[in-house]
Amino acid sequence: MKIFSATTEFDYTWEEVSVGNWRKYGPWNEKTPHVIAVDTLSRSVDPATGILRTERLITCKQSAPQWLQHFLCTSSVSHVFETSYVDPSAKKVTMCSHNMTMADLLTVQETVVYQPSPTSPAARTQMYQNAKITALCGGWQKIKNSIEQFTVDRFSQNAAMGREGFEMVLEMSRKAFAEQREQQAKL
Amino acid sequence: MSASLAPECNEKKERYDTCFLKWYSEKFLRGIASTDDCEPLFKEYKSCLGKALKEQGIDTMLEEARADSRESDAEHMKPS
Repeated sequence: MKIFSATTEFDYTWEEVSVGNWRKYGPWNEKTPHVIAVDTLSRSVDPATGILRTERLITCKQSAPQWLQHFLCTSSVSHVFETSYVDPSAKKVTMCSHNMTMADLLTVQETVVYQPSPTSPAARTQMYQNAKITALCGGWQKIKNSIEQFTVDRFSQNAAMGREGFEMVLEMSRKAFAEQREQQAKL
Repeated sequence: MSASLAPECNEKKERYDTCFLKWYSEKFLRGIASTDDCEPLFKEYKSCLGKALKEQGIDTMLEEARADSRESDAEHMKPS
């Protein structure tokens, strides 16, 4: 098993980040072309806690190196199942996801949490990201290690690109909201 | 907004996503969401998507994936 974890901050309020999060893989993000579709499967607000629970199916297309493709007989399209929880009173977004494709051979379990920054809660947002990568194929430790290492490397590249792309989304989102407010003020 | 895995559902998805984002930012985050305004649009999009998931054999994979997410539900649906 290998673990990837990172904490980073965005110079946007928690509200902005939590709204932008739903747009993360949209056209404003040019840095995550490997995500080709995001579908919402179910959504509900828990009447007791006020927590919004959402299930999404994320479809990716990403190439693995030839040796790994050969070994895993992987298809080029893969699916990730994501369950997210938004607690508006605690100001906390938690997203849990895991791979559906090739799950017999390799599991990638990711948790992302967005909360107001501890140092500047009114203006900034902290993102905590953690991923557990486990190769399950029996026997060859060497192969398991190579698969896990490749996956963790790819994961951290995607995470860095994802962060850059999310910054673009947040910036566009802020502009769009400002324009919307301006138009409303004119009416 | 991002595309659907079923191109024939893109339009319905776009309408629902737009409605949801408005509801989320203007009502849900402000604590004034008594009902989900977008439920009718979601139903339309979901029935389109459901067909595609079945055709592509993804529906059975989803059942397994759902079973795995029960643990995270127990942890994250707790009141704060």
